[in-house]
Amino acid sequence: MINILIIEDDENIAKMITAALSMVDYNGTCRYDGRSGAEEALKGGYDLILLDIMLPEMNGFEVMEAIKGCGTPVIFLTAMQEVSDKVKGLRLGAEDYIVKPFEALELLARIDVVLRRSNKTQDTITYGDITVNIDRHEITLKGQHVQLTPKEFDVIVYFLQHQNIAVSREQLLSSVWGFEFGGESRSVDIHVQQVRRKLGLKDYLITIPKLGYRLESRDNR
Amino acid sequence: MKLWQKIFLSSLFLIIAAVNIISVTLLNNSHRLLLEREQTHAIYEHEFYEASFSNAVVYAKLANEKIALTPNDIRHIATDVVEGSGRMRDSAVFDSSGTVIAVNGMQELLSKLTQSGFIENIDQSKDNYYVSVYNTSNGYKMAVGSAITTEGMSYSVVTAMDISEIYAMKKKQTDFVRKVSVISAGAISFVLLITVLLMLSPLSRLNVYTKTIADGNYRIRIREHGSQEFRELAKNMNVMADSIQTNATRLEKIAEDRQTFIANLSHEMKTPLTSILGFADILRIKKHVDDNERIEYAGVIVEETKRLRSLSGKLMGIVAMNGTEIEKRPVSLQSMISETKTALVPLLAKNDVRLECMSQDITISADEELFKSLLYNIIENAVKASPKGETVELNAAMYEGDAVIAITDHGIGMTPEVVKKAFEPFFMADKSRSRKAGGAGLGLALCQKIANLHSAKVEIDSHPNEGTTVFITIPGEECL
Repeated sequence: MINILIIEDDENIAKMITAALSMVDYNGTCRYDGRSGAEEALKGGYDLILLDIMLPEMNGFEVMEAIKGCGTPVIFLTAMQEVSDKVKGLRLGAEDYIVKPFEALELLARIDVVLRRSNKTQDTITYGDITVNIDRHEITLKGQHVQLTPKEFDVIVYFLQHQNIAVSREQLLSSVWGFEFGGESRSVDIHVQQVRRKLGLKDYLITIPKLGYRLESRDNR
Repeated sequence: MKLWQKIFLSSLFLIIAAVNIISVTLLNNSHRLLLEREQTHAIYEHEFYEASFSNAVVYAKLANEKIALTPNDIRHIATDVVEGSGRMRDSAVFDSSGTVIAVNGMQELLSKLTQSGFIENIDQSKDNYYVSVYNTSNGYKMAVGSAITTEGMSYSVVTAMDISEIYAMKKKQTDFVRKVSVISAGAISFVLLITVLLMLSPLSRLNVYTKTIADGNYRIRIREHGSQEFRELAKNMNVMADSIQTNATRLEKIAEDRQTFIANLSHEMKTPLTSILGFADILRIKKHVDDNERIEYAGVIVEETKRLRSLSGKLMGIVAMNGTEIEKRPVSLQSMISETKTALVPLLAKNDVRLECMSQDITISADEELFKSLLYNIIENAVKASPKGETVELNAAMYEGDAVIAITDHGIGMTPEVVKKAFEPFFMADKSRSRKAGGAGLGLALCQKIANLHSAKVEIDSHPNEGTTVFITIPGEECL
């Protein structure tokens, strides 16, 4: 279970982030001011901290200074668009920053990148009779090794990490192919079809009109 | 060309010209005087010579006992007289036809005399002495000529005097003056240069100063000294710098306020937008959303959208009030207060707060709707700050010629720091409480604008945990 500390003074935003995290089974804990947030962070036990900049008591930069020692990766949430603020946050050791307002999936994608970088993600994901070992880049179906291209592998991993969530082609493109990739959503469709065929996911990896794709979970949450 | 160069060169030119003109005039004058003196002298000697010639004629007559002398005799006499004067004097005698009958010295001068028509001139001025100066290779000669009539014949007698010395002296003096003027020109130009530069030095100081101001350093001031003109100029420039600084500071403040306003506005808009976008996205992409979740998520979206609506409403109010002329009419304060009270009934009931109003019968000139919204906002703040069961009091009365409305609550109060910032747009004393109540931090900023349009003042007297009194002072001129 991934534990994420949310330090954000707006209760509704904190609530929204918690809800977004729960979609991928991450556990979110909220603190509403800088001081109690820093205290909570220093207690430890968190895989990631989402930190707002404009906070009562202590601002985000001050919190960042205070929790430097604990080694937990930090993503800044900021309403400010000035480059200098972003630079300041990254200089202080933040892993990334997300500019408000943001979409739930974008937040999750950024979180995944940071968690992967700090090796906090699961190594193996099991989905029905499919088992994926992310570190070894291996995938088996009913114990049989399945040959996938690197991009196809990334696509299935992304779906497995976002079960029961509708994923748009654009999101897949930016997460799997990279944010700067200017490719067409056609290639996304081809890769999804390949994954479906090779792994026998016809009934589970479904197309949602006008939205994208969704991988249904097996446990029927 | 620079000013100092112009002043320097023109002064130098004028001084040198004046000195030269004066010295040349003086020189010429003294030379002329000398010449005149020499002329008198020459004429005097010529007279003497003439006399000796006449005497010689008379003497020859007596000696030879002749009644008349022949021209030949006269020539002899003339030769005797001319040669008798020896080396002392250059002289010549001409007969009436202009032929030389006797000559001594003269040499080159003789031909010059004939060439210049000197002899003819003598004839024309019979009774006078004709004087002229000739430059010969032996120096300057002053020739004096006169006509003598003897023995029925007319003769011209010419004597010449060497005056080279006078010319030599003139030349010497001219050379001297030239030398002195060159040296003095050097000295004058040196002194002049220093004087001009010294006199203009305040100008370069002013120049540097204006450049500094132009570069944006408005705080610097110049010392007011030097000549009167420069003092005045410096003073005026300081006055100018003062007003530039005041204006620049004012503009900076305005720009800064605007910047803060926009930054705050953007933050205030992004916060609800973040919740709205996030929850809407979750609702869109999540497969299973149970009823509780749906109600919670959609509830937040509705709540935050309302917040945005209130923000945009207040913003529109502020924007609309910028630069608009309001329509003032005589309105009764009493009736406005009672109408506002009616509008506040739901809020009062919700917060369980009572509102007690005491008002004199005052009529003011105001925009009724705007003024009611001013009252509404301030009473609303008072109600929100009050604990349940408390009372908010409103008193309106004439005080020292002005109409004063005092709204008092016995609520949480504010610290002086909070009071100081209370009118700033987007300032919220308690952010989360205020947001929950749908506030955007624009209420008092709006009140301030409305008050300004009515030339009224809004003041806050507050003590933490004791309560707050807001005074609205409407100047006497607005009361009817």
